[in-house]
Amino acid sequence: MSVATGTTNTADATERTRALLTAADPGRRRTDLVMRSLIWFAFALAMVPLVWLLWTVTVEGVGRMSIDFLSLSMRNIFGGDPTGGIYHAIMGTLVITGIAALISVPVGVLTAIYLVEYGRGWLAKAVTFFVDVMTGIPSIVAGLFAFSLFALFLGPSAQMGFMGAIALSVLMIPVVVRSCEEMLKLVPNELREASYALGVPKWLTIVKVVLRTSIAGLTTGVLLAVARVIGETAPLLVTVGVTDSINMNPFDGRMMTLPVFSYRQYHQGYAPCPSGESASCVADIAFQNAWGSALVLIAIVLVLNIVGRLVNRWFSPKLR
Amino acid sequence: MNLSRFTRAGSAVAVGVLALSLAACGSDPEPADTASGGDGAESTETGDATASLSGELSGGGASSQEAAMNAWRAGFQQANPDATVNYDPVGSGGGRTGFGDGSYKFAGSDAALDDEELAAAEAQCGPDGVIEFPGYVSPVAVAFNLEGVDSLNMQPETIANIFLGEITTWDDEAIAADNPDAELPGTAITVVHRSDESGTTENFEEYLYTVAPDIWTTEPSGVWPIDGQESAQGTSGVVGAAQAGDGTITYADASQVADLGTVAVGVGDEFVPYSAEAAAEVVAQSPRTEGTSEYVYSIDLERDIPGTYPIVLVSYSLACTSYDDAETAELVKGFLTYLASEEGQQAASDAAGSAPLSDTIRQAIMPGIESISAS
Repeated sequence: MSVATGTTNTADATERTRALLTAADPGRRRTDLVMRSLIWFAFALAMVPLVWLLWTVTVEGVGRMSIDFLSLSMRNIFGGDPTGGIYHAIMGTLVITGIAALISVPVGVLTAIYLVEYGRGWLAKAVTFFVDVMTGIPSIVAGLFAFSLFALFLGPSAQMGFMGAIALSVLMIPVVVRSCEEMLKLVPNELREASYALGVPKWLTIVKVVLRTSIAGLTTGVLLAVARVIGETAPLLVTVGVTDSINMNPFDGRMMTLPVFSYRQYHQGYAPCPSGESASCVADIAFQNAWGSALVLIAIVLVLNIVGRLVNRWFSPKLR
Repeated sequence: MNLSRFTRAGSAVAVGVLALSLAACGSDPEPADTASGGDGAESTETGDATASLSGELSGGGASSQEAAMNAWRAGFQQANPDATVNYDPVGSGGGRTGFGDGSYKFAGSDAALDDEELAAAEAQCGPDGVIEFPGYVSPVAVAFNLEGVDSLNMQPETIANIFLGEITTWDDEAIAADNPDAELPGTAITVVHRSDESGTTENFEEYLYTVAPDIWTTEPSGVWPIDGQESAQGTSGVVGAAQAGDGTITYADASQVADLGTVAVGVGDEFVPYSAEAAAEVVAQSPRTEGTSEYVYSIDLERDIPGTYPIVLVSYSLACTSYDDAETAELVKGFLTYLASEEGQQAASDAAGSAPLSDTIRQAIMPGIESISAS
């Protein structure tokens, strides 16, 4: 009797536990549903402008794409003339952003290494503080800084690609420092300790262990910084100016860049076509050019990201 | 490990090759029409001064000149393939400032230099060293969007009252009296003006202030004086806003008004629709400002000469008679010679609908341009 009671009791308890575990409290289920749909809704809402933007730029810009558009400059092209292209702007953007990256990446990565590996006391605190402040600098301030810096030596008519690169690196360095610092902090201390235990000096540990472990994060950080500055318009308008011709020399004369080109074309408005629209006079050609260059700019950022991913894959240590 | 090293080397090479090929494939476009004798025709027209100049020249100023400036730059660069001319359409004020501090070698301005600015420019160019001439003359159209009406006659007083907001509907007696044949609907009038500071606004206000001083009593400035009306930024902005509404009226550079209806403006007893020729006439017949130095050719616009279109934007070109280096001097001289030439003025007229300079004015300003030299 007592045994039988015992079995039924055990069975009862198991059933009860199972019921408790499987059939959740309807209140909690409701909360779960509400929160889940809220999060999905927020996600969809965040995606709307992104997808919309990409869609609009692609639809408006793709019609202008051609070999000519990518390989010719706008020299001697005016009014509704639909020939010409953005080669000068593409090269300007690549050269200027490239120089900015050449300046910012070593400075930024080394600063991040200092902050994570060496920095103690007031100097490290001061550096962190100023990097944080610099992250929030409006881009036009960076442009005016570079402009007034060079105007001191070369006079107010100085405009060249290198000035723009300086302005962009002012914007870029803090972003590189912040993101690289976070990535270096993620490297587990055990790796460093293991390296020291084998008698490896600190600098070699940083080069061979810390940097190699975090290379994926560092590349992402650098690419984010590049993407941050490649679309800057205002500082380049002040420092690099506007031109229609190809100029590959960043130390002499004005250069064109994609965002500035886009802005300038949009500003130009409709072209007058006195004898009506034809193959040689398209009234809204400036708008088409603006959309086309915006699309190319987005494509360049996309390609840079893909290259970054590939670099990650090739250079990061094989863990598995 | 060996394999990955190969991959790395390979990828580095691939990226390098890609970059080099990208750098090599672009070029400046070569329009087909320049190859066949275009160069020859230009250099005979404009003389030896423009033959094969080289170097880079940068100027800036009035955005109203931009479309014409694009045509001038293209024409000049085609005649001188090694020369590059840049123009920043930063606005008249920016152009005058930049010219004064030497960052622009030449400038465009919707207003003639005042005494203070002339002093700053002379500090840069040397005494009596400033060249100023009306290089770009463009009619400003009073444009409207009204179902079924393409053109209307209006007296200056009517225009002033409309833009003041005193006349509120299109079938108002003042409009109907001058347009006996038009079928005017009772639509409300919506005035669209420029929201930014602009030379076009200043010019239009100046016109109203001159011809209808009893009605339009505010002093002209670049800013629209009346609150509570519709506004938009830039010429393309006001034209777009006018096209979007029904019963709208605005003022804009005539080359940009597209398919909007335009007002034939009352001058004396007749009504003159805008045209490049009628606008050129008002500049040709207005007297030159007195008491300026030899090469400063500014004009006092007279708004009531019969047969001329009185609302014109006169935009000036500014330069120095002497520059520090010979290359800049030659470039400025060559470029302005082309700009003022019959051919250059025609190019601007085709591209921007501007009014070509008259021969009288050209003869008056050419000595100044000829005198440009290196100091």
